[in-house]
Amino acid sequence: MEAAESTGRENMEENPFEPYMETLRQQLEDQDPVFLIGIIVALAVVVITCVFLKYFLTSKTVCSAVLLVGLCDSGKTLLFSRLLSGNYKRTQTSITDSSAPYKAKNDKGSTWTLIDLPGHDSLRPQYLEKFKSAARAIVFVVDSAIFQKEVRDVAEFLYVLLTDTVICRNTPLLLVACNKQDITMAKSAKLIQQQLEKELNTLRVTRSAALSSQDGSVGGSLFLGKKGKDFEFSQLPMKVEFVECSARGSKGEDGAADTESLELSLAKL
Amino acid sequence: MLDFFTIFSKGGIVLWCFQGAGVTESFTGPVNALIRSVILQERSGNNSYTHEALSLKYKLDNEFELIFVVGFQKILTLTYVDKFIDDVQLHFRDRYKNELEQKGSLKLLNNSFEFGNEFKMLLREAEASGKAKSPAPMRSFKESEKSQKTVKSMIETKGGDKGKEQSGKKNKNTKKDAPAAEAAKGDQVKAPPTVQKVTVENGNQGLTADEIMLKKREEFFRKHMAAPPEKTSSKSPKPQKPREKPRRVWDISGKSGKSTKTLDYSDSRNGEDSTNEGEPNQDVFFDQVSAVGLCLFSSKKAGGFGGMFGMLKGLVGSKNLTQADMEPVLDKMRDHLIGTSSAKGISDQMSSYVCLAVASTVKQALQDSLVQILQPKRRVDILRDVMDAQIQRRPFVITFCGVNGVGKSTNLAKISFWLIENGFTVLIAACDTFRAGAVEQLRTHQRRLNSLHPPEKHGGRPVVQLYEKGYGKDAAGIAMEAIAYARNQSFDVVLVDTAGRMQDNAPLMTALAKLIAVNMPDLVLFVGEALVGNEAVDQLVKFNQALADHSMSDKPRLIDGIVLTKFDTIDDKVGAAISMTYITGQPIVFVGTGQTYNDLRSLNARAVVSALMKA
Repeated sequence: MEAAESTGRENMEENPFEPYMETLRQQLEDQDPVFLIGIIVALAVVVITCVFLKYFLTSKTVCSAVLLVGLCDSGKTLLFSRLLSGNYKRTQTSITDSSAPYKAKNDKGSTWTLIDLPGHDSLRPQYLEKFKSAARAIVFVVDSAIFQKEVRDVAEFLYVLLTDTVICRNTPLLLVACNKQDITMAKSAKLIQQQLEKELNTLRVTRSAALSSQDGSVGGSLFLGKKGKDFEFSQLPMKVEFVECSARGSKGEDGAADTESLELSLAKL
Repeated sequence: MLDFFTIFSKGGIVLWCFQGAGVTESFTGPVNALIRSVILQERSGNNSYTHEALSLKYKLDNEFELIFVVGFQKILTLTYVDKFIDDVQLHFRDRYKNELEQKGSLKLLNNSFEFGNEFKMLLREAEASGKAKSPAPMRSFKESEKSQKTVKSMIETKGGDKGKEQSGKKNKNTKKDAPAAEAAKGDQVKAPPTVQKVTVENGNQGLTADEIMLKKREEFFRKHMAAPPEKTSSKSPKPQKPREKPRRVWDISGKSGKSTKTLDYSDSRNGEDSTNEGEPNQDVFFDQVSAVGLCLFSSKKAGGFGGMFGMLKGLVGSKNLTQADMEPVLDKMRDHLIGTSSAKGISDQMSSYVCLAVASTVKQALQDSLVQILQPKRRVDILRDVMDAQIQRRPFVITFCGVNGVGKSTNLAKISFWLIENGFTVLIAACDTFRAGAVEQLRTHQRRLNSLHPPEKHGGRPVVQLYEKGYGKDAAGIAMEAIAYARNQSFDVVLVDTAGRMQDNAPLMTALAKLIAVNMPDLVLFVGEALVGNEAVDQLVKFNQALADHSMSDKPRLIDGIVLTKFDTIDDKVGAAISMTYITGQPIVFVGTGQTYNDLRSLNARAVVSALMKA
């Protein structure tokens, strides 16, 4: 009795679909084969177009720039000059960006554009806005000698970078270059990383508690890292590396710069 | 004489530098200070800057994106420096045109720009010309004209008096007319040197004064003006006319001397009927186009008119718009259109096309620059600063100042609500000891805030307390006591409410400055309403001035931020935000959008600018 009931119930469930399947099958068979082929071709074209669009419009293939960003006087322009030509050049505060093609020192010999953005507070947002979508990697240059005094400014700039929607979407490689290692008071990369993590920990709380803006858009954007745990760079979706370098070099103006670790990391791109 | 001279690109790479003999300090510091304060601020009109003992002059070359900076000791007054920079710029550009024209910075990095010899030669020339302009030596009596006059001619009789007076008057007329004539000639002549020259010449008193004037003026015209000399003869009858006060012309459309008749288009006549109308229409067209920014037409070579391609070239480059750029292009375009026979129809079409294309570019550039003005130059994170003060075991003091009735007490309550929501304890100092009901108002706010956040939930102590000493007492004293009380009771934030005062009221401004100077608050917020209009500029300038004047130290506490209130009452008239931020250079920290505690926002620069541009 129960078996009959259960099979009856199964039949009941299949039955509603069965007539539809039957009619569909009959209709397909009745149709002209040419018409059927037309439908199949159209569907295939649509699928292929979608795949192509997705492939070509992903920003990863459009990006080919490495941005040099950082606070004012951190040594970006000198680093730019060293990476491109190896020469020491006197520099002043930049007020526009400079760009040049860079040949990476790896086996593939890939070339991409190295862009040096000005670090001054009033120019920083507009240049970042202009170039952030094309960034494949961002080299964040930090002045290791006076880092202790500038910790909050550095952390604030880094926070702005990490919470930017475009950068979060593309997840470029973030290389924090601790520059000016030739000065004796320079902090090591490890120390800088710890200090930044501590500062960003507090910053993400205050920023997300900030007021929303007057037209309704939320002031505090996404929350960095994981809630409940202390902030660490490993919690971020993008890869963050800390390297030490010295654009001036230990021997002064005539010597070579100590940028090997930076160049190695850049070569891995 | 010069301490240093540098040429560097806008991207920051120094192309060439020269350091004077005996100068050991590096010039990087002063030049960086120059860049940061002057070039980036884009405020000052002149091109000089002083940094400690050095005086710096600079010149921008926007075509090749270079900056030329010269530095010398402040105590020296070198007259040849301006011309010297221009010469150096021209020579450098001519010599390295090829390298500089290339896009990308590789050439700049790889090349070494040798300029030493030319520079030394130019410097020698400039110094020599500077020495040549020494003051003229005094003439001896024998050389002067007076020694050649007879004694009889100098005796004053009635007739002689008149003769002398008339000649004196004519001299004055010619003095006045000469600059007027030159101003009427065109914009190309600089006024000061001409006036100087004429006054020097006027020293020649004598019977032949008029002829001397005419002769000298002709000489001057010939030397300085491109106009043909026969025009000067037409100008000469002018001084004979009796001088009357010219009728003041209020220019309606920016072009003086145009009567309203020519601008009257109410007649339904077609333009082709009379040739008279062709002229005014073209003039209006040129006005329109020049007003919108015709200089975008000019390609990078000045004066070149290459039709459509010229416009595109000009649009692609980032050229600074100046009056001098517009002049040659405007003239060329005028000639070009007059030359074509069907100028009327084409000019109308062209004007609309040009205006559309140019207007959209100008609008985008304006939007970008406005957003840049409104972006805060430094961090606006009050919570972070309060946390810092908490670590240092001292209260974070915020002072509110402003004119009467802008909403200081209301916004103070809103800000204390926001701070309480984020877990801080607040002490409100009632330093408004003048207005009746001010203390009671704050007490009401305190009660409401405490009822919203009852002390039981926050560790047993009330989150908001009011420190008041009634009416009529000294505000600065109350503030100091309040801060000491907060430190003892370990409050996190002290909000000091002051009385509203007009910016012209000197004793009240002094009292406010004293309060701020004595108590050294962490944040001085100026509360201004969004409806204020042009008054905002006056208010802010006078408040800042008062704070700077009455402070004892050499680093006075000025206004650190702006609270823009009553933002919900304006729909699109958001211009007050722009003017306030531009005048002080300080960010807008809060925006008040209503009367309840939740109506506190932060400023979104892009939204404000798009609202502004939509209007």
